[in-house]
Amino acid sequence: MTAPAQRQGEQTAAMSLRGLVKHFDTKLAVSQVSLDVPAGSFYGLLGPNGAGKTTTLSMAVGLLRPDAGQAFLLGYDVWADPAAAKARLGVLPDGVRLFDRLTGPELLAYHGLLRGMDQPTVDQRARELLEVLELGAGNRTLVVDYSAGMKKKIGLACALLHAPRLLVLDEPFEAVDPVSAALIRDILQRYVAGGGTVVFSSHVMEVVERLCDHVAILSDGVLRLNGPLDQVRGDRSLEEVFVQVVGGRVVTGSELAWL
Amino acid sequence: MTGRAVTGRAVTAQAVTAQPGVPPFVRLKLRLLANGLRGRPARIALFVAGVVVSGIFAIIGYAIFAIPGVAHRPGAAAILLPLGGAAIVLGWLFLPLVFFGVDESLDPARFALLPLRRRTLIRGLFAAAIAGLPALATLAATAGMVQTAAQLGGFPAALGELVGVLAGLLLCVALSRAVTSAFATGLRSRRSRDLAAIALAMFAAAIGPLQLAVLAGAQRADWGAVGTVAEVVGWTPVGAPYGIGLEIAAGRWWAAPLKLLIALAAIGGLLRWWSATLENAMIGTVASDRRGAVTDRDPVELLLLPRMPRSRFGALVSREVRYWWRETRRRASLITFTMAGLFLPISLTVSSGSPGAMVIFVGALAALGLANQFGFDSSAYAANITAGVPGRAEIGSRAAAHAIYTLPLLVAVSIVVGALSGHPARIPSTFGLLIAAYGVGLGFVLPASVRAAYAFPASSNPFAMSSGGGLTKGLLAFGVLLGAIVVSLPLQIVALLLGSVWLWIGLPVGVAYGTAAFLIGSGIAADLLDRRAPELLAAVTPNR
Repeated sequence: MTAPAQRQGEQTAAMSLRGLVKHFDTKLAVSQVSLDVPAGSFYGLLGPNGAGKTTTLSMAVGLLRPDAGQAFLLGYDVWADPAAAKARLGVLPDGVRLFDRLTGPELLAYHGLLRGMDQPTVDQRARELLEVLELGAGNRTLVVDYSAGMKKKIGLACALLHAPRLLVLDEPFEAVDPVSAALIRDILQRYVAGGGTVVFSSHVMEVVERLCDHVAILSDGVLRLNGPLDQVRGDRSLEEVFVQVVGGRVVTGSELAWL
Repeated sequence: MTGRAVTGRAVTAQAVTAQPGVPPFVRLKLRLLANGLRGRPARIALFVAGVVVSGIFAIIGYAIFAIPGVAHRPGAAAILLPLGGAAIVLGWLFLPLVFFGVDESLDPARFALLPLRRRTLIRGLFAAAIAGLPALATLAATAGMVQTAAQLGGFPAALGELVGVLAGLLLCVALSRAVTSAFATGLRSRRSRDLAAIALAMFAAAIGPLQLAVLAGAQRADWGAVGTVAEVVGWTPVGAPYGIGLEIAAGRWWAAPLKLLIALAAIGGLLRWWSATLENAMIGTVASDRRGAVTDRDPVELLLLPRMPRSRFGALVSREVRYWWRETRRRASLITFTMAGLFLPISLTVSSGSPGAMVIFVGALAALGLANQFGFDSSAYAANITAGVPGRAEIGSRAAAHAIYTLPLLVAVSIVVGALSGHPARIPSTFGLLIAAYGVGLGFVLPASVRAAYAFPASSNPFAMSSGGGLTKGLLAFGVLLGAIVVSLPLQIVALLLGSVWLWIGLPVGVAYGTAAFLIGSGIAADLLDRRAPELLAAVTPNR
């Protein structure tokens, strides 16, 4: 792999997690997760439903306090120096975490001003993002009335608006139609080509296999495998590796006979 | 073709015969309550507190309603039972709207896909609504009326009153469900939202004169007048069920079935009304009519209110101001406060003439709108954490946005109070007192909103609370009101001591007092928020 010459200051890993642990009541949701995301990589976090992907990413970006462990973003400790870490970070949270009673343009303006950007920059970037993502710069529909794909796209636009060095996306392709998915893919690939780092969670193998250069597989809160994609899958398909690692089962002929 | 129709009918017939009764709904509700408590000591403590409060209410209520019987005073009973019963019914109507919300652990929308007939569903939800602490406490309190009837008229009267008390309980629950559901439906569809507000206002206005008559009569010790009012109330649906036993005791056997009929008709009508609005709640929300509207203004201009600074603070305040109107829960809280804020002082000013205590109550009530301000945002609050908004800016902007709505209302309240009490000179000092109470209220509410936040259920009913949520809300509201009234008391005493001087210095002193309290409270809240933002997010995120 011919990595482009990296700029000073990006030598450190874009995201480093050290022994993250989280309990919910008595259930252990995430157990001792440690991993390094190299700067400039496209990193896929894989796992079945309930594996702890969202919990891990929430702890990594400062939304959920870990019971133990540390998280570093671009070299800054998220829990000790949140302001410095968060200034260089863009997040697309899972599901509904948007102020969805605003219109798309209003939501982008809100995020821009919240990040301390000046008005002309916010207006110009917001218009450009709305045009590129085909959301319409003059659209006055409330985000709550958007389709699922449009919600993902406006969430992505909010995360990109302040030109962060690291993007953390929770299930960016879930419930997105193929056309929107292709558009989001192109934007993310351009972002990585420009030197940014993307970390995203998914349980769709095809997407991960096509986009990522690094993957990590999480199940039952434990990190099972991680590293460069080619190293993780070897000469098999990623899906085979995933099902084997996670310990899934296959339905035999005699079960569900009544179907 | 015909064969198909026949099988279709056969399937329907089978489904109809298999309709469940009431017990599964009640069991489901109790199971949800138990699961909500399991492994959560704080919730268990709250639940126990709720049991204690309900128990105290039940004992006091029972004692009051049993006194006329024990003392053998049929005249007092004829006044107390219908009026007391009516007060309880009205409490069931207004307390959920203003303070508690309705326990919607059984969200009707969840049943939309099940093959249930509407009658089955209504019966089940109604039974589940009765299975709860408030209904139990009400039943225990009104049981005092049965004792009174027994003392005055023996077994037949006691039996009649028991039937009446049970009917009264059904009436209370049906009324609170029907009205909150109808109000919620009205608020949801943007076209008719003002209609709901007006309907409620008219209802409140209709209660006003009645209340005035009773208060005026009681003040002049004119029991004849009160008796007449009680007689009239006793024939309205809200008082009728509670008078059945007394009619039997007094030998008017013909009146007992008539009053029962009035109560049952009211219950039936309310259940029909509830059933009609429930249909609407199950189908879902009405889409907004803004679709397709296009503008070419800049995004920042669209977000910010006129004359707001082009900064983070401006963005926070503008977003909050838009949310107070665009989100149904917040709009419902604003509208109910407007109603309560205007009608409480009006009715008390007209009747007694000294609105001081009520003014403090209204000011503190205004602050209560922010008691669960982060709960309104739910998980969307994550955006502000990710952007690293400091606690001071977060708390300050939220209070500022709320004040933009509240201050004009408080001005209106002080003008109304001043004008009605015939002392226009009192308007500035009344406003000063209101501001002081509002500031003190905020001083209590802001830290509480960070420390005691809770998640609203993902229901479309803005009054819906999850199991135990209503209790948290009610206890929080009670604590804040009590605290605000106690802390504002010195000001009230000073006002009384100074007399006419107060008219001149009331406004600046009140504003200074309120501002100081607000600054202290918001400082504490901001520090708390800086330390606990992730915990707060977890607390307001549903289902975690």
